[in-house]
Amino acid sequence: MHIQELILRLQRFWADRGCLIGQPYDLEKGAGTMNPLTFFGALGSKPWNVAYVEPSRRPADGRYGENPFRVYKHLQFQVILKPSPAKVQDLYIESLEALGIDLTKHDLRFEEDNWESPSLGAWGVGWQVVLDGMEISQFTYFQQVGGLDCRPVSAELTYGIERICMFLGGYDNIFDLVHGEVKTDDGVFPVTYGQMRQREEFELSAYSFEHADIDLHRSLFDAFEKEGWRLLKDHGHFLSAYEQALKMSHTFNVLDARGAVSTTERPGIIKRVRDLACACARAYLEHQEGTVAPAEAPGKGGAK
Amino acid sequence: MSTAKTFLLELHCEEIPARFLTPLTEEFATAFVAWSQNQGLASAALKTFYSPRKLAWRGPGLPASQPDQTETQVGPPQRMCVGEDGKPTIQGLKFAEKWGVDFSAVRFEQPAGKKEPCAVVTITKQGRPTVDLLAEALPGLIAGLHVPKAMRWGNSEFEFVRPIRNILCLFGDQVVPITVDGVAATNTTWGHRLYHRDHPAPVTVATPEAYESALETAGVVVSVEARRTRIAQQLETLAAEVKGRVVADAELLDTLAEIVEFPKIVRGEFPADFLELPKEVLVTSLREHQKSFCIEGPDGALLPCFLTAANRTDDPAGFVKAGNEWVLKARLYDARFFFAEDRKHPLSDRLEKLMALTFQRELGSYHDKTGRVVALVKNLASRMSDDTDHIDRALEAARMAKCDLRTLMVGEFPELQGVMGGEYLRHEGAHEEVWMAVKEHYRPVGADDALPGTPMGCLLSLCDKLDTVAGCFAVGLIPTGSKDPLALRRAGQGIVRILWERGWAFTPADLIEVALRVVGAKATKPAAETTEALLAFFKDRVAYQLELAGYAGSVRRSALAAGWEDLADLKARCEALSAFAEDARFASLAQSAKRIGNILKDETASGDFDSALLTQDEEKVLAEHLGRLEATGDQKALLAALADLAAPLEAFFNAVMVKCEDPALRAARLSLLHRLRLAFLRVADFSLWQ
Repeated sequence: MHIQELILRLQRFWADRGCLIGQPYDLEKGAGTMNPLTFFGALGSKPWNVAYVEPSRRPADGRYGENPFRVYKHLQFQVILKPSPAKVQDLYIESLEALGIDLTKHDLRFEEDNWESPSLGAWGVGWQVVLDGMEISQFTYFQQVGGLDCRPVSAELTYGIERICMFLGGYDNIFDLVHGEVKTDDGVFPVTYGQMRQREEFELSAYSFEHADIDLHRSLFDAFEKEGWRLLKDHGHFLSAYEQALKMSHTFNVLDARGAVSTTERPGIIKRVRDLACACARAYLEHQEGTVAPAEAPGKGGAK
Repeated sequence: MSTAKTFLLELHCEEIPARFLTPLTEEFATAFVAWSQNQGLASAALKTFYSPRKLAWRGPGLPASQPDQTETQVGPPQRMCVGEDGKPTIQGLKFAEKWGVDFSAVRFEQPAGKKEPCAVVTITKQGRPTVDLLAEALPGLIAGLHVPKAMRWGNSEFEFVRPIRNILCLFGDQVVPITVDGVAATNTTWGHRLYHRDHPAPVTVATPEAYESALETAGVVVSVEARRTRIAQQLETLAAEVKGRVVADAELLDTLAEIVEFPKIVRGEFPADFLELPKEVLVTSLREHQKSFCIEGPDGALLPCFLTAANRTDDPAGFVKAGNEWVLKARLYDARFFFAEDRKHPLSDRLEKLMALTFQRELGSYHDKTGRVVALVKNLASRMSDDTDHIDRALEAARMAKCDLRTLMVGEFPELQGVMGGEYLRHEGAHEEVWMAVKEHYRPVGADDALPGTPMGCLLSLCDKLDTVAGCFAVGLIPTGSKDPLALRRAGQGIVRILWERGWAFTPADLIEVALRVVGAKATKPAAETTEALLAFFKDRVAYQLELAGYAGSVRRSALAAGWEDLADLKARCEALSAFAEDARFASLAQSAKRIGNILKDETASGDFDSALLTQDEEKVLAEHLGRLEATGDQKALLAALADLAAPLEAFFNAVMVKCEDPALRAARLSLLHRLRLAFLRVADFSLWQ
């Protein structure tokens, strides 16, 4: 199956089951969870179902486009269901069947894999979903986001798009995947993932391992932090402040890939991102529900 | 008398982490037995079952209802309950009313502990139906389970290990009406996930006894033991088909039994050129990434295939085999990439990079640690050998020991630390002694793990562990109670085991002294304090070593009390004592040793013994024996001499009055016993025997 077909089927499946279809958020980030649709959506008492594709950038995973299994940037398909439905596992399994996977012929398992994002002040419990020995999804019940207890609890489903595509098609090289087909008057032209992405992988890997200016990134980190707190404190703007936290997070990841962050320095830097993200979360809840404690917010479904 | 009925409870959840299955089922079983005894429902232990989605318990036979229970209640004194006119007072009537009886049922007796007769009633509490008691108690017992990483889900505030989606609860063929977090119990459950894609209805379990068979039909083997046995058998069969045998891994076998509901072993292949990777890399990669076993041929070399458990009865389209092969290939490709990348630079290039890797905050980086281990190796190696080439190789191994922490492979598989360093050095053409020592220097990891196979490996292991233990103690990181986050006890045990099995003559005090000197200014605690704590620590480790070696309690106690620091000597004494313990003369000797101890307890006996002062034959014989004992060096001979002493000692105590009137004679006798005791103490403190 082509990458774009897989995405389209997932979007159709989840739209039919009551999810908004969101769009990728236009800032670099290391995980789809960092998209505000999830970060803020998982907070507070209001129901919230959303699904979207999100590019995830992990500077340390770059392999110059040479490793057939690892890339700097990959696609995650994210689903947030709040509150988590009683049949959430069954829904997830149906979504796999919608991709054409006949589960009566495969081995599907949910193996313990808890999730934690120290820089978002977030954690949850759940599984990696394993199909015939291959991890294809992460399945998490959020317990805390932005340092706040989740009430109700959201279920987050993350599909690794390229992995599932490779696995289903039996590809041994991610760059051989077909993204989709371009059809013109002159004919049909399949476009591979490699054509679209391999050069980018090379340049971005070189950037994060060699070319990124360490001093610049250090000063950017400080500047984003200052800007974020200014926006939040002076204006109460948690969304624009949160963007600054995302930028801090990515800047830190670049510094880390460059080997510029010592083990002792690391926890302190992560804490600086977390402090801003958590403050944004509290400000969001105050704005949404007039309180920072979701447990005290008006009944299920939200009143406002 | 009602007939006993069997109880069955199954919580069907979303997939429960394997590590919680045993503790949760056992905790509930214990709590249930305690509860049922408390209710007067005598009971045997519950049988526990679990699978990835189920926690279940069955049995024991419980009566249909609780036996009636009588209770005696004591009230106010008689004088306050009955008026002078013989009629009940208000207080008396209230007491009867409180316990729901007529005043005529109230007796007046003087209960134990009371000074006067009091009102007493005996009430009979009728036993309640067991099913009602179960219904009341079970939700609390379930909610009370201790879940280390509990979660919430949906709108609920209920916390448990994973969401509960179904409850099966039977007492005989009757459903126990309980509800937990909105889920009401029934006599049905769910089978294997995939089974229900074809059979959408829930599975009915008519009676507790039908539990296993009902679920087996629905694709779940609920007994973990049964699953483990099936897996082990299939592993063996499939390995034999390719004329190989499974590379044993008991832990992996347990894991597989815990993570599948219906085990089916699948054998897959991988490209043979991956066999160029070191065996350890393949075994680790297969185990860690794919929960797969390796197969080795008759010559011990790996075959290009693997075995893993699928969670279903079959693999109709071959997808499970193909999928696992695909993933494994991707993983091995990564491993080969790491192996090639790592070897682009000599291992020694990483020495500098160890500066950026913290070992422990106060003790500095792994580079600092390496420096200390080198110093320790230098000190100890030069005390054991004057072969300078050998010493140089030991120092080289010490310098290289931690370098692989900065390799890609160890970054991916931390459990390969040491092994990779050794492998890379071997590929670089290092001396076999050096690469073997590096490869093995983390061993022994646990109590069952073998020591490094070479003397140099043992020396490096000892120095590395010694630095860890002494360094941590020197900055106040001392294990307490069950807390030992740095696994210092395990490291300490490793040190003791190496000394014990290698028979090296270093004493703990020796080692502590050198190690603390090397830690030097990084220490934050006074050296004397640290030394004392370390000595106590090592004494415990030595005591445990004796236990591990299997000596009887009496041998351990008495041998330890006579000195523990010289391990070779301690070992010889324990061996000799164990053999000697069977000797019939020994009981008598131990008895005499205790008598000597008692006699000398309040005395200050002189060490200068003058045999010329003795008068009786029995004591003269003893004095001759003393001379022989004191001249004997070897532990075995000494013990033989002690055995020969049993009869003369008995005779001595029968005939001789030690604390006699004549002060000189008395002093000589006390001195004789004192010197005998000292001779005993060269082997053991027999007063601690038993």
